Amino acid sequence: MTDELGRWAEPGLLVLASLADGAKHGYAITADIAAEVGVALGPGTLYAALARLEERGLIEGLPAEGRRRPYRLTAAGVAELTAQATRMRKLAALSLGRLRPATA
Amino acid sequence: MSERTGRKWTAPRDARREGHESTPGRLSVSEDARLVRALVACYPAGWRRRYGDEYAQLLSDLRIHRRPALIIDSLRGAVRAHGGELMSRAAPMTVAVWAAGLFTVAGIGFAKLAEDFRGPGRTAHAIVVLMSAVALLALVAAAAPSGLALLRGRDSGAWKYVAVPVVGVALWFGVLAVAVAIGGKPGFVLLALAGVGVVAATAWAADTVLRRVPASPPRRLRPVALTVLAAGMGLATVAALVWGLQVRSRGAAGFLATPFLPSWLGLVLALGAATALAGLADRRQLRAES
Repeated sequence: MTDELGRWAEPGLLVLASLADGAKHGYAITADIAAEVGVALGPGTLYAALARLEERGLIEGLPAEGRRRPYRLTAAGVAELTAQATRMRKLAALSLGRLRPATA
Repeated sequence: MSERTGRKWTAPRDARREGHESTPGRLSVSEDARLVRALVACYPAGWRRRYGDEYAQLLSDLRIHRRPALIIDSLRGAVRAHGGELMSRAAPMTVAVWAAGLFTVAGIGFAKLAEDFRGPGRTAHAIVVLMSAVALLALVAAAAPSGLALLRGRDSGAWKYVAVPVVGVALWFGVLAVAVAIGGKPGFVLLALAGVGVVAATAWAADTVLRRVPASPPRRLRPVALTVLAAGMGLATVAALVWGLQVRSRGAAGFLATPFLPSWLGLVLALGAATALAGLADRRQLRAES
């Protein structure tokens, strides 16, 4: 599954999608992505994505709970994820629509 | 795939909910803690201050000692973080100086490799030498205002850094005597490592002087100089590539059977990496000036 997703499994996008239903800390994000998408984000990859998203203002860290810090989407993150998901939905609809006559 | 481990693993489903704890491993905590500390220590200090605690917790939650692929991923993340730190925070001249250091090491390696091949690729070899000289002179030009400020006594405490390359070269000659006495491959490796150490120490000292000594270079000097630096390095890299291909096409000494191929490819890659760094330094300098 990991290989099949290819570029659509871009770590930043996966993290944004994981945070769409609420704040999560690092381990919860990796577990969620592994369970829902089948992609294993390594710790270095995850924190590179978190740092990049935080720097771009798409996510924000909440007060730490012990040594775990949950992250949540910002308004800009919600807008970015919405735009990306809409674009991907259009592409999926286009692809499936054009493939249907060929496979029918 | 470049940013993923490529391995699937199954996490406890309850851990997907916010705030849930991971299932603790059966191995001792101290066994894991040493590895976790070592992996976190691989990251830059600034990064550790911001993410260190939570990252250590994640590594513990993942029971990292059982997952070699995740250890590699963590190390790759550390390399990226160091690269990002250098690229995002270091001054263009800092990046340029370290690029020149890497280029110098690779260039010395190229000179050592090329001394055994006098016949083929003479033009390409001459271009490597010429463009290397142009590139390094461009760096000297970019650094000249700081050098002049040092001579004018703007920072008397910075003079001690000027002694670093002198002392380094003197020490290198001492190592040379030891390496000759040892002989063979161990002696050569010792000498090469000492040489890399001297170049690295020189780059560090030069960078420190450039950051410490106040200087006001003419507005266009550094952008132009760093552009020439990157272009010179790039041309030298291409010429080194062409040189190797020409040696290969004419060489009857068993190209693939000798250590030439990995040495040459390694040097071309190092020259290319130095060129890429110099290009980034140039781009950042141009942005700063615009």
